[in-house]
Amino acid sequence: MGSVVLAFAFAISARAGGQEKAAKESAAPAPKRDSSGVWLYQGSGGQESTAPEKDMPPMTAWAKARFDTERPGYGTRAVPDGNDAILQCDPAGFPRIMFFPTPFEFVQGSDRIIQFFEREHAWRPIWTDGRSLPKDPDPTWYGYAIGHWEGDYTLVVESSGFNDKTWLGATGYPHSEEMRVTERYQRVDRNTILYNIRVDDPKAYTKPVIGPERIMKLRPGVEIGELPCVWSEENSFTKRIREPAVGKPNR
Amino acid sequence: MNPRLVTFSAQVVMLLVVCASLLAHHGNAAYDEEHPITIKGKVTEFVWSNPHCQIYLDVKDQKENVVSWSVESQSPGILRRNGWTRDSIKPADHIAVTLVPAKSGAPVGFSGEKTGKIVFDDGHVLKMDLR
Repeated sequence: MGSVVLAFAFAISARAGGQEKAAKESAAPAPKRDSSGVWLYQGSGGQESTAPEKDMPPMTAWAKARFDTERPGYGTRAVPDGNDAILQCDPAGFPRIMFFPTPFEFVQGSDRIIQFFEREHAWRPIWTDGRSLPKDPDPTWYGYAIGHWEGDYTLVVESSGFNDKTWLGATGYPHSEEMRVTERYQRVDRNTILYNIRVDDPKAYTKPVIGPERIMKLRPGVEIGELPCVWSEENSFTKRIREPAVGKPNR
Repeated sequence: MNPRLVTFSAQVVMLLVVCASLLAHHGNAAYDEEHPITIKGKVTEFVWSNPHCQIYLDVKDQKENVVSWSVESQSPGILRRNGWTRDSIKPADHIAVTLVPAKSGAPVGFSGEKTGKIVFDDGHVLKMDLR
């Protein structure tokens, strides 16, 4: 019994020491106007969505018609053999790419910041040279993004020009080509970004979609890996695991 | 033979890990994320592929029947950050896999994130933490 108590005390002590070290590191000031590094958001552990379902605003009739055809694999409407397009290796697109449990990297240049995502091995430029969003862009999976610094520590990113083929997250929820996204990456200390996202899409929702404030942590030493959705491998996976898991015969 | 896990005993160790609260807030609908289990068996194949690595192993049930299990795991990037390589698991390895089983009752599961882990006969462990 004594050794158990001792081990427990040691564990508590070690944990306290770890917290102290983490607090000390976190207290290091953030570099000014610098978002560089590999970042990982501290989520639930699995795929998430732009906003929790309970916080989604009312949909328009246009969005509701699309919503009714969705059969996501996560959330309150989850079904085990749904029609999420990423199961066919379609791009997750933006902003859904933000809510996978894999890191991304910011690399800063003089006129742009590039955001590299491990998921899909995808990337997007965020133009910081003062340009405006294009007025009539061709719709794309990842849109067109511009950014500016608000003070020395908050990178504000605005984006538009998205196609309407993607969902806002793993729980489904459509968006239209009119979607505009505003993100705020507030670097509160060296190791921490507070991330806020707002989606304005009047064709789909009667009010903005507001994501909860999320925490992102710097991952020193981590290198972004390669995580493409490889169709041949995904297809093999579907036949050998995904379909048998839901009771379909192994093909 | 009905491969449902309730029929397994000696070779299939059921660990009803009390971590439902960690798992209930997200989840893939195909798996029973509130009831992780651990299965023990002999590896037949390890597939290092994107976006899902896969482990196949033969597990004996209480009647000594061999049941072939298919296990989904994380992407190579996540596993690599946990110290895995494409050779971390080899055919004929004897391993215990903690996973969340398919709700359908099929011998299929997901081993990853917070509860997933692999324990080898010699005691060494592979984990799948998100990092």
